[in-house]
Amino acid sequence: MNEYLELISLNIWHIIATILNLLILMWIIKKFLFKPVQKVLAERQNQVDEIYSAAEKSAAQAEADRKLYNEKLEGAREEAEAIVKAATKRADRLSDEIIDKAKNKAEETIRKAENDIAQEKKKAMNELKNEISDISVQIAENVVGREIKAEDHRELIDDFIDKL
Amino acid sequence: MEINITGAKIYFEIPLFGGIPITETQVNSWLVMLAVFIVCIVLTHNLKVRPESKRQIVAEWIVEKVTNLVRGNMGEGFEGFAPFICAILSLSALSSLSSLLGLYPPTADLNTVAGWALLVFVMITFFKIKTNGFLGYLKGYTEPFALFTPFNILSELGTPVSMAFRHFGNVVSGTVISALVYSALAALSTVLLGWLPGFLGEIPFLQVGIPAILSIYFDVFSSCMQAFIFAMLTMLYIGGAASKE
Repeated sequence: MNEYLELISLNIWHIIATILNLLILMWIIKKFLFKPVQKVLAERQNQVDEIYSAAEKSAAQAEADRKLYNEKLEGAREEAEAIVKAATKRADRLSDEIIDKAKNKAEETIRKAENDIAQEKKKAMNELKNEISDISVQIAENVVGREIKAEDHRELIDDFIDKL
Repeated sequence: MEINITGAKIYFEIPLFGGIPITETQVNSWLVMLAVFIVCIVLTHNLKVRPESKRQIVAEWIVEKVTNLVRGNMGEGFEGFAPFICAILSLSALSSLSSLLGLYPPTADLNTVAGWALLVFVMITFFKIKTNGFLGYLKGYTEPFALFTPFNILSELGTPVSMAFRHFGNVVSGTVISALVYSALAALSTVLLGWLPGFLGEIPFLQVGIPAILSIYFDVFSSCMQAFIFAMLTMLYIGGAASKE
């Protein structure tokens, strides 16, 4: 049976079949093209959103870290300044102490030296005194021609020396 | 020489309801649908969130383009129409393009485009009633005043008729013109080159080349154009019907 339809002909069954064909094709395209692709697109969107939120989160974290770091740095600087200040103060005090001590020690030494000198001087004087008294006794013996007892005239001689 | 321009070939009739003829239109429509189905399956095979294949990029491109087209012409919230528009585009374009394979294009059958236009008409009416209410829909026919009612009804009915005949006319006219030019060239060839000796005189040399150029216009360009126009009109009419004024 090889008949042909008229060029322009309408057949209600053909129209119904065409509508059904179109609806079926729509279903096919929806089910096999749009749904899977939209699913993948939605998944990708989700991933992108996740990545974005993660990036935002890490940026916020980094910002917080930076702030914390700056605060710590500021704290450390203040602390260092305080330490340096304290150390300087202590060093000043220490140096003052050392200088004072040295000064005291020097004064003491000088005083001691002066004492020593005075003592030596006294000692020398005494020795000299004895010497002179001895010599003078000797001279007097020689002059008098007889022995003079130093002890007898000690008082006299001392008196004399003191007057020198 | 005789030129026959007929409708679709009837393969057989289903003996139901006084005979339902199964024609080339039906068979070729099914072939087109099968092709679209296979393309869909192939394109969406093994989709990845991070696309690796060109197939996936093509599939995403199609979906996004059609969705954007629908959104651009019908507005936000009508993205659900994208598969329908995609179906019209692919069915219309591929049906018309099937003539390139020597098949009878289903769009050259008035029944096909009339069916589509009827469906679009039903949708337009449905959205008009849904948007304005039934009374509002009826009242729309009396705008701007009652005297216009017949014209409004005519223009309403004219919408699917014009859509159907525009598409049908374009495809059929292409077929008719191609057939006419083809046989005219054969005749001209016989007249001009018939003196060549032997079988050389019977070869229609003029048929080479010129019909190909016509084919590029009528089969390729016009096919895609008409599919696009039909889809655009569908979107604009339904979008217009669904929008409140």
